[in-house]
Amino acid sequence: MEPTIVVHGGAWAVPDSLAEASVAGVKAAARDGFAILKIGGSALDAVELAERALEDDLAAFDAGCGAVLNTDGEVELDGKTLAAGAVSSVRNITHPVTLARAVMEKTDHIMLTDRGASQFAESIGITTVPTDALMTESERREWEHYKKYAVGVKEGHDTVGAVALDHRGNLACVTSTGGIRNKMVGRVGDTSIIVSGGYDDDQSGAVSCTGHGESIMKVTLARLILFNMELGKLARDAVDVSLAYMGERVQGGGGAIAIAPSGDWAARFTTQRMVWATAKGESLFYGLDPQDMFEEKLSK
Amino acid sequence: MASLPVIVVHGGAGNIPRARESMSSAGVREAAKAGYVCLQAGGSAMDAVVEAVTLLENNPTFNAGRGSVLTQKGTVEMDAIVMDGRTLASGAVSAVRRIANPVQLARLVMDKTSHLCLTAEGASQFARNMGIPEVQEESLITEYSIMRWRKNLSPDANPVESHMGKMGTVGAVAVDLQGNIACATSTGGMLNKMEGRVGDTPCIGCGAYADNKLGAVSPTGHGEAIMKVTLSRLILFYMEQGKSVREAADMGLAYMWDRVQGRGGVVVVDPKGEWVARFNSLQMAWAAAQGGQLHYGMYGEEHFTRDIQEQKEPEPQSQEAHSPTRSTDTHTDTQ
Repeated sequence: MEPTIVVHGGAWAVPDSLAEASVAGVKAAARDGFAILKIGGSALDAVELAERALEDDLAAFDAGCGAVLNTDGEVELDGKTLAAGAVSSVRNITHPVTLARAVMEKTDHIMLTDRGASQFAESIGITTVPTDALMTESERREWEHYKKYAVGVKEGHDTVGAVALDHRGNLACVTSTGGIRNKMVGRVGDTSIIVSGGYDDDQSGAVSCTGHGESIMKVTLARLILFNMELGKLARDAVDVSLAYMGERVQGGGGAIAIAPSGDWAARFTTQRMVWATAKGESLFYGLDPQDMFEEKLSK
Repeated sequence: MASLPVIVVHGGAGNIPRARESMSSAGVREAAKAGYVCLQAGGSAMDAVVEAVTLLENNPTFNAGRGSVLTQKGTVEMDAIVMDGRTLASGAVSAVRRIANPVQLARLVMDKTSHLCLTAEGASQFARNMGIPEVQEESLITEYSIMRWRKNLSPDANPVESHMGKMGTVGAVAVDLQGNIACATSTGGMLNKMEGRVGDTPCIGCGAYADNKLGAVSPTGHGEAIMKVTLSRLILFYMEQGKSVREAADMGLAYMWDRVQGRGGVVVVDPKGEWVARFNSLQMAWAAAQGGQLHYGMYGEEHFTRDIQEQKEPEPQSQEAHSPTRSTDTHTDTQ
């Protein structure tokens, strides 16, 4: 089985000022995750590492350190056992994905929220960091600006996610986000809802979604994409058909990355842009604008 | 005969102790009747399912609202969801405390916010903003739930085993006279769960799904298993492939057992008004109202029918004789 990892940094109109850093970020995350796969590591470890790299990338991405105060994070589903871990509404944790993985591996539950999630984090030695470290200067200015002028919610479709296939044929996925800017306290978006923000099953494929969270949830986008793959569609067609449905039925835009058990993969979107990168074989593929399919050698 | 309107209600799947059977059965029948009255008067499917689930939340027999199971710490944290099949709009709350009717708060999330789910403190704050009164936690706690909690405090207790039966999540699916479809599910969650644990119920696609084009599902059972297989969406997917409500429900439940060893039950309805109540646990308290008839059951293949106007309560079931006394079968099952 040829190991493959696909990473995305959110489907939205990435401004030119952030484009270069965003693309560099996903490429680095894909390389990091692929390194794990190449030495025989699991899909689960690969996606978690890629996620952590993305969460660390302060400048470009919303999740983790750059998070806008409230954080959702859903971890990898393990495609073999369908084990899953998710957290929602956690604050001041640098890597929500690692916390979500701990929910999966150390509890009998799938999802923890709010104070319960924080308590669990403390109980396993995951430290919280002061809010200052979690907000970049531009985030803080932005938040203060919005607070003052009570502007409506701005869609920041800057979720990050990864899907991977390892040499054993196991699949995993992960999705993480800081959610919409200035959303209501306690708003839970698609990311931490299994089946919407992400889903995978060794028998069908792995998917991670990004875009307008509420629309993604209404059509349970990740599961929908997998249903289409189960019906025999190629990853690309499954994603396109599902995104088209979401556009028609609930007027929502977004993007998704997907891998089939065969290794067939896709990164597709209906928003203006989506940052993504794929590592497979000797190549690193990546893109930003709709027709992009750049390729460079991995050993570079 | 499939006809509209129709409402199907469940009060939980598992091993309901005999002593509580008649209360569960009476509870779901009352909820189905109330939802049906609403539908007959031209009310929407959404109104009907919220009405039915509200009654079940108020009824201390069920694991929802009053009567909810307790968390590890002895507190009550509730989850609920509603979904509108016409627009795919949905509202949910998770890990919410100290309100009497989480299903109504879930509906407000759908109607009054641009979000689909609010959790914990955020949900409580929203409730306050909506003028929903906070209630004392004690008012939601029953002797029975305390007793079950105590029994499962010891480290070698098996809450999943114990839970799988004694107390049930509640839910309803309905199709109204306009052909609009809706569903609602509400629960206190898993016995002795960790604080902040969120189960399948408030997760769209897992704890509920409704689509005017396909139908609606409300499940009950082992929450984590339901989530892993995204049960509600899965069953509707089978229906999309042409399976009947019964085939789809059975396939979904079988898959959940085979793949992740989870037991549970579902109520399912399709746009024409065909419905089923299916489960792979020992029992599931369920009731349906359609065409002036009330249908109900508890065990396996049981299916009782009576005129919905009939006031007299049915005879309590004897301990041994559980061969169902089927009346004329007007059920819509095509098998």
